Amino acid sequence: MTKKSLATAALTLLALVGMSMSAMAETVVKIGNVEPLSGPSASVGQQGKNAREMAVEEINAAGGIKSLGGAKLELIYADSKSDPNVGVTETERLINTDKVNIVTGCWNSGVTYPATAVAERYGVPFVVPVSVRDTITERGFKYVFRIAAKDSWWTRDQFTFLKDMKDEFGTELKTVAFVYENGDWGTGFAAQWKTLAEEAGYEIVLDEPYPSAATDLTPVVTKIRRAKPDVLLLTSNAADAVLITNTLADYKVSPKVILGSGGGHADPTFISGTSDNSKFMFDIVEWETDVNKPGAKETNDKYKAKYGSNLTGEAVDAYVAMYVIADALERAGSLEPAKIRDALATTDLKTGPAAIVAYDSIKFDATGQNENAALAIVQINDLGQGLERITVWPKTSRRADYTPVFPMPQK
Amino acid sequence: MTPQSFKKTGLALLVLTALALPLILRSPTYLHILIMLYLYAYMTTTWNLVGGFAGVLPLGHSVFVGIGAYTSTVLWLQWGISPWIGMLVGGCLAGFVAYLIGKPTLKMRGAYFALATMAFVEGVRVIVENVDQLGPFKLNGPRGLNIPPLPAGEGSLLAFQFATKEPYYYIILFMLMGVVYLTWRLSRSKLGYSLSAGGEEPEAAEALGVNVAKCKVTAMVLSAFLTALAGTFLAQMTLFIYPKSVLTLDLSFELAFIALIGGRGSLAGPIIGALMLRPVTEFSRIYLSATLPGMHLILLGVILIVVMLYQPRGLSEPLTRLFNRLQDRICSTKTGGAK
Repeated sequence: MTKKSLATAALTLLALVGMSMSAMAETVVKIGNVEPLSGPSASVGQQGKNAREMAVEEINAAGGIKSLGGAKLELIYADSKSDPNVGVTETERLINTDKVNIVTGCWNSGVTYPATAVAERYGVPFVVPVSVRDTITERGFKYVFRIAAKDSWWTRDQFTFLKDMKDEFGTELKTVAFVYENGDWGTGFAAQWKTLAEEAGYEIVLDEPYPSAATDLTPVVTKIRRAKPDVLLLTSNAADAVLITNTLADYKVSPKVILGSGGGHADPTFISGTSDNSKFMFDIVEWETDVNKPGAKETNDKYKAKYGSNLTGEAVDAYVAMYVIADALERAGSLEPAKIRDALATTDLKTGPAAIVAYDSIKFDATGQNENAALAIVQINDLGQGLERITVWPKTSRRADYTPVFPMPQK
Repeated sequence: MTPQSFKKTGLALLVLTALALPLILRSPTYLHILIMLYLYAYMTTTWNLVGGFAGVLPLGHSVFVGIGAYTSTVLWLQWGISPWIGMLVGGCLAGFVAYLIGKPTLKMRGAYFALATMAFVEGVRVIVENVDQLGPFKLNGPRGLNIPPLPAGEGSLLAFQFATKEPYYYIILFMLMGVVYLTWRLSRSKLGYSLSAGGEEPEAAEALGVNVAKCKVTAMVLSAFLTALAGTFLAQMTLFIYPKSVLTLDLSFELAFIALIGGRGSLAGPIIGALMLRPVTEFSRIYLSATLPGMHLILLGVILIVVMLYQPRGLSEPLTRLFNRLQDRICSTKTGGAK
């Protein structure tokens, strides 16, 4: 080797070292996201992905995490296929191979439940934007935080709504029917409905689980028609929600109240797939575009311009999760998992873009559950601009000048 | 070098490589992919005992995976019985169930047997999804069972839980080697010959005095016992089981696909099939899921179609030809050099 080539080699080496030094100076916070990007829940996974991207773009454009020298957030995705085993594998991979600092996900409760156990085992903070199963935050875990309400709160609010409406409109509601998808989510809801209905003195006239992938739900609908319930409570995924609603209309079955549980009923495709058949139906949600919160409308407009659909409650939770993480990182001033965890545990976020949620603030209790997570109930109606979802409950959040149509008109 | 010693050297090299891999491959993710590859190769090999040698198409093997997974998990969660014992109990239970369903159904021909086994899995899945408790056993319906993880960084042989991937790797590797050896012995035993004779020409075999139905039931019981062991392993790997993961037709179909692509009824078929399919699924999911979600499913479909069109008997056939040619060349050049 000549002297000249030796010098060149030395210089190259030096340059390389210099480059890697400067790369090290710019800290990146890696956020791993396990989402259903393919399979039956791919559309909600995509919305969660859009919402996260929009939030992270905003955070990075505003200068990143200042206490970490302007560190940028980087999103890394993994596809759970809505399969718990894949979710577990992918969470492990994100932690081991991609060395993510924080994990979020997984929308499907069935996936979140075991995936959070993985994060707990490795001691990596896991922020759950929305996955309703109660037990996710009831295992004494230290690293798991949930922003949305848990399912016992959903069912509790559904029954409080029924009671409030009964009192407000003086309508008699005596019998109730439960129709739900036979998965983990539906059966979980139904078990709680049963207790709540018995406590509130309703007569349960039908308790009917059905397979979500069914292509014909006529047998279920004829059972509802025979049972003649005053209140029909539904828990459905996307395609089956549309199918049940249209079949109910075909058979002219009209209970006094039809109340959905989010999920399929909250999906943007629901109204377009059912058109007038869904008019006057009620649904429980975490967030609606008409929510009375500063910045909500602007954020929704921006999202709609970018991705072509309104923000859903679940997308909002994903969006807000990024701000919750940014806020915790800012206060932690470190990438040490334990410090991020402690910062998350002391979160009390009321201002900034995160305030578009319908909650008073985001504050985790000792189990990691956001204690202020709240829910709202909407009615689908046409006020001259096509069918839309209008917030009716709690009464304090009801859209101004709107009187709910209650009970639903008989067909 | 004789063809015999060439084969032996090749096999020894293969086993040594498999044993040494974790020393080189430190990434838990890649180890995990290998573990799943071995697990699927194992399950397909046990499937092959019935699906390959006995010449019928069982599409219900996930029920045995499920029995294995649920038995060991329930015993561990409710009575603290080590999953190793649960594994054997689950195997015996699966063998017993296989006897009950095999006895009447294995007399069926062609598609009818496949349909009966499919119906059985679906039936069991629906039952498990709809009961929270079966006698004293808590199954927790569609929510499944979660095995509480040991504290971070701790492992225990008794609890069948390890902090690192290596123990899992060696356990499943030895299980796979054991079951391949067993299949090899079986394929050269009286039972093996009776099975393949009964699978290909049942009338002729019976005319020669082979009790075809009895042989098939024996193979089914053995296969179920071994498949259930994989169920326990799977449960201890993921620490979470639920009806849609271990009692589903998807799993049954995947085993059949791996066997079809690799080559039904051959010793190497399941391993070749798993080697073909598992990495495609895993890597496309890891590297393409953010940009092209669902791509792994398309790739899987394309591979299946191409293999079925050009190699309907699976990839083990052309690969065996290739191996033989290589063997001929190496062995003959050696002897040629001696001349």
